[in-house]
Amino acid sequence: MSMESTRSDKSAKRSFNNNRNSASSNSNSNPSNKKKKTSQKTLGVAWGSNSRSSSRSSFSNSPFSNFGSYMVEKNRKLQNQFEAEASTSSHGGSGSVKPIFDGVSIFVDGFTVPSSQELRGYMLKHGGRFENYFSRRRVTHIICSNLPDSKIKNLRSFSRGLPVVKPAWILESVAVNKLLSWVPFQLDQLANNQPKLSSFFTLKRSSVSNSASTHAPCQVNPEAEDSSLKVGTSGDTYFSEVSEPFEHRKQISRESDDLVNENSNASLVEETAGSSGKPCEVAMGIPSNIDAEDESSVKNDLQSSHYQPTALVSSNCINNQNMKGSPSSMVSEPSNQSHSTLGDPNFVENYFKNSRLHFIGTWRNRYRKRFHSLSNGFNCTSSNIKASPLKTAIMHVDMDCFFVSVVIRNHPELLDKPVAVCHSDNTKGTAEISSANYPARDYGIKAGMFVRNAKALCPHLVIFPYNFEAYEEVADQFYNVLHKHGNKVQAVSCDEAFLDVTDSEGDPQLLASKIRKEIFETTRCTASVGIAGNMLMARLATRTAKPDGQCYIPPERVDDYLSQLPIKALPGIGHVLEEKLKKQNVWTCGQLRMISKDSLQKDFGLKTGEMLWNYSRGVDNRLVGLIQESKSVGAEVNWGVRFKDLKDAQNFLSNLCKEVSLRLQGCGVEGRTFTLKIKKRRKDAEEPIKYMGHGDCENLSHSTTVPVATDDVEVLQRITKQLFGSFHLDVKEIRGVGLQVSRLESTENSKQGLERNSLKSWLASASARTEELCKNSHVAKESSNRGCEGEGDETLGQLCGNSVGLSIQMDSNTSNGAACLNEVSVLPPLCHLDMGVLKSLPPELFSELNEIYGGKLVDLIAKNKGKTENINHTLSAYSHEKIEGAMKEGQAARLSSMVFQNEIPVENKAEQHIAKEVLAVSGAESFVPASGLKKTDLIPSSLSQVDTSVLQQLPEELKVDILEHLPAHRMQVFSPNVLLDPTEIPLEALGTKTAENNSGSKDFVLDNNLWVGIPPQWVDKFKVSNCLILNILAEMYYKSGSTGNLSPILQRISSVSLHQLDAFQDGWDEAMYILCELLKQYIKLKIELDIEEIYVCFRLLRRFAMKSELFIQVYNIVSPYLQALVGENYGGNLHMSLKD
Amino acid sequence: MDHKDNQSPQGETARILVEFLEVAITSIVFLKGVYPSGAFERRRYMNLVVQRARHPQLRDYIHSAVFGLLPFIQKGMVERAAVIFFNTDGIPVERFVFKLAVNLSYGSKVEEADLEFTLRSFLIKLSVSESLTKVLPCDYRWEITAYFRSLPEASANKDVKQWIPTDARQWEQPPLLTPIKSMSSKPLCVQLYIEHPSLSEPKPQNGEV
Repeated sequence: MSMESTRSDKSAKRSFNNNRNSASSNSNSNPSNKKKKTSQKTLGVAWGSNSRSSSRSSFSNSPFSNFGSYMVEKNRKLQNQFEAEASTSSHGGSGSVKPIFDGVSIFVDGFTVPSSQELRGYMLKHGGRFENYFSRRRVTHIICSNLPDSKIKNLRSFSRGLPVVKPAWILESVAVNKLLSWVPFQLDQLANNQPKLSSFFTLKRSSVSNSASTHAPCQVNPEAEDSSLKVGTSGDTYFSEVSEPFEHRKQISRESDDLVNENSNASLVEETAGSSGKPCEVAMGIPSNIDAEDESSVKNDLQSSHYQPTALVSSNCINNQNMKGSPSSMVSEPSNQSHSTLGDPNFVENYFKNSRLHFIGTWRNRYRKRFHSLSNGFNCTSSNIKASPLKTAIMHVDMDCFFVSVVIRNHPELLDKPVAVCHSDNTKGTAEISSANYPARDYGIKAGMFVRNAKALCPHLVIFPYNFEAYEEVADQFYNVLHKHGNKVQAVSCDEAFLDVTDSEGDPQLLASKIRKEIFETTRCTASVGIAGNMLMARLATRTAKPDGQCYIPPERVDDYLSQLPIKALPGIGHVLEEKLKKQNVWTCGQLRMISKDSLQKDFGLKTGEMLWNYSRGVDNRLVGLIQESKSVGAEVNWGVRFKDLKDAQNFLSNLCKEVSLRLQGCGVEGRTFTLKIKKRRKDAEEPIKYMGHGDCENLSHSTTVPVATDDVEVLQRITKQLFGSFHLDVKEIRGVGLQVSRLESTENSKQGLERNSLKSWLASASARTEELCKNSHVAKESSNRGCEGEGDETLGQLCGNSVGLSIQMDSNTSNGAACLNEVSVLPPLCHLDMGVLKSLPPELFSELNEIYGGKLVDLIAKNKGKTENINHTLSAYSHEKIEGAMKEGQAARLSSMVFQNEIPVENKAEQHIAKEVLAVSGAESFVPASGLKKTDLIPSSLSQVDTSVLQQLPEELKVDILEHLPAHRMQVFSPNVLLDPTEIPLEALGTKTAENNSGSKDFVLDNNLWVGIPPQWVDKFKVSNCLILNILAEMYYKSGSTGNLSPILQRISSVSLHQLDAFQDGWDEAMYILCELLKQYIKLKIELDIEEIYVCFRLLRRFAMKSELFIQVYNIVSPYLQALVGENYGGNLHMSLKD
Repeated sequence: MDHKDNQSPQGETARILVEFLEVAITSIVFLKGVYPSGAFERRRYMNLVVQRARHPQLRDYIHSAVFGLLPFIQKGMVERAAVIFFNTDGIPVERFVFKLAVNLSYGSKVEEADLEFTLRSFLIKLSVSESLTKVLPCDYRWEITAYFRSLPEASANKDVKQWIPTDARQWEQPPLLTPIKSMSSKPLCVQLYIEHPSLSEPKPQNGEV
């Protein structure tokens, strides 16, 4: 009971004040205590007095000589008391283990959750100290949840340089039972420059945050750390896996076959996670943050997109030239529009076409296609390498300023001139230099620099636009050369690769010069090569070799080489890590080596610590070709994002989703977690220096996780739209949008299983398959009997016939699929099963199905395949016995005996739930052809016949898809059921379309309920209304934070001049009617549980009524209704008189 | 106190609610200045500074009254709990009404912290609500009254015996309500409002005794 618990706290406190005797008797170590007599002082008065007291260390007489000495004594007693309590409370604790908060002494400032007393309890229990009064000497951490502005302004004088930490630090430390770093728990107001109250105090705040950062220089902004880490990992995951066999490999096998024949040497193409990309890539030549690891564009799209960039680039240039003519128009609207989301409906598409980083990302796809081969051979050899790591020779080949050299290879006269590549050569422009050649670098021109700054440094700098076509050509040539000389090539980027040349005969240095020479001859661009015993050292060697040189670091020279190497040169050390290390006075690898592995791991975390330790010693255990799976796939646009209205934004989002979906498909993965990142212009941010850039922004992000992985555009769009809605932003403020998909699953796995994400893809693939089957038995061979050789053509013919029969049957009987859904206990007849679907079922499911069909499934498949052994092979792991049984039984049950077994009893009742599950699938299956047919406009499937109970049991995703495929007028049949089911929330959450339809039907059923949904229906209705006050209401809904409550909206309105609200005549009656209706429904909604809200609303309305004719009428109409309802519920009337 | 027997969500809710009521009622009594301020002492509850009666009798009255409600609140039988201030004639002058709704079908665990967070707002609002209340006549009394949805059977539970049917007089006209605070969460909804006699109510001195 809480009084009880507080009582104990209180009694503790009380003893501080009153019960001096008891307190001192507890702490009998201090005989001097007994002398003192107390004088009653309240705690409140004592506040702040400690500074005076600190100088006085002792006192002589019991009546305190002054307040200061009293405080000294009080503090001492509090400490004694705390220690006494601590010694008793820690008895229960683990004796030998060092307590968590050893050496930590906290001071709690102000209101916290949990309360200061609870925090005190934690400190007691875990060996920390708790100070009731602040003292610079005793306190090590200040705990508070919120600081007043004045304290933030004078943070220094408030905190005396001590860390100011949120209470969560203590809680989480206790939870994990170790002392966590307080840095991530730093008070929000100090930690990032985006304090919660920023909207009110933006101007002041920026100075505050400055002071915060100067006062506490050791407080690293955790966000900055994050982003640098991200850079690191993005480099790592830059190039994702290939080695896994892909489904689409089949589709491109013909092309690659040819290639493989050509390059018989190229037995394997490996791509790697290896080291991060080139520095200039990380530095972002193009104003975008496109995650470079992203794959994009499925094969088909790739081809077409290859040809377009040049055209677009040139048109870009024209634009820029135009602008040169009238530089003053640079910020003006029209030119803005041509480059922003405002004017260009295909902005997303064009954006990525012009993006260099996008080029680098998508280049992988092309590379994979060209140099694709099987990975098996490599895996064997890689184990060999492991066995003899000593002799390895790794070569790192890197083209010299690739993006520039490629462009100027046709301009020999520019060879010694400073040249840079940039998508715009507007001298005054803020486009960023993406790459500069060495002469240009001599002028101090770096990647990432604005053109105008570069031009200032070097007025005769020549700037070229990108030439993606040429890049592709050169990159291909580059890799052709590499593959010629080694079969273990790990592509890092289009211009950078690792080669394992351990197995090559001859001196690696000779080989290197040979490779360099060939590269120059074929591409007319130079490359540098570093050679060493591992990837790290090879990469570092390249550093020395550049430009146009080569460098070999033999094992014995590694130590020398590293000892003077600045730590920054090591891959994986970014700004943040560098700063941290420099703070520890570590500047070179040699100094880094002095630090023990343990302390490195303690300071920087387990992985980073180990990496630092290894790298500083030149140890790198990565193998060439080692693949790291990419963790996320996404796309982000931070440039040129300007939205006029919500529609713009939605359109943009849906295009972004398309892009991301393509990238997912390109990578062959599907994801479950979707994160939408928004860059929102800061309140006080001016138009960014960079033309159409994002400027000073807040970074917001929301994410959601769906139960089943997907790469489907429509699902993505739905999720994204919903995520976007949850931001409640003014779209005009948005400067950048990114969508990232994580928790990736390989498409391979999910494509086979139950968890096939969307029914639609089921439909599409299945119907496609059926069509194929009907058309061409060869196609059938490929799609259904993949991996099986030597089937008899007759069986195929038979199969083909079957399928044709199947589809015909479907033609003639539309409700077949629905019927299957209806009969829960009836299995679909054997012959109705789609072979392709059966085969793509996961083995577990298949064996279950097989069991239900009494082993006939296996038989069926066996028939089709013509080789039972094969299946035995694939299935033996799961259902060895069954197959044996099936083989015996199987011979008898011929395929020709296609007597429909309409009622195959479920064999085991205990398995009924499994059976149901399976049926859901088979139901869906049989639904597939039906819908497939619908798609081809043969007959629309009538789903009203579907048993809703079956529908309820379908997995969420399937349900959504089914519902989506229903004609809208049929929705109503379902939606009540759907709404009744409490588990349906995710459905609504997922569905925008569905939700709309649901609420639509509800609207119909529940008599115009304006308050249903999020946002409530009235918002949309009012938004499109031609009546000003209604528009304002809808607008205020969003401005007030979309809480769903009326009072915040009305409160906002009270700031609008109400006189002008009456300045309309049209639709007065209509507006009044709908307002009354809105209020009445709101009263009905809230009367029972939240009379306070209604009260607030009506007091506001009453105030409006004093100024507005309309509101007088509304108020007078609704008021009696309100009072009646209040009387009904509360037996009284609301007290509405206006005292104020 | 032993909470082990109240492990159902409703038990948990009721326990938190009853504690809250004890504090809130004390706050109301303090707010109305029934006793000199020296009769109260500052305490911390839900991380807020609140008042607590120092006089054992007063404390016990509030405590026992409220905790006597515990089993009934748990069963959802209590509809309202009111602190009624009335004059010497027994005619109410002001009533602070807690309207309670415990969700009996709520099945999951009750997060004490969440409930406390919302309940705390009552105490905050109460402490600044003095202007909404009426100045009480010089001689008056107060009592805690609970309104049950149905009368519990006296024999069934000895807790019931502590409760005597009230004979506090009712207003003849529907009262005027001034909502103070409302909260609604899944396990529990609480609303606090003040009732005053309606303006057309016959004045106390005019009414017969």
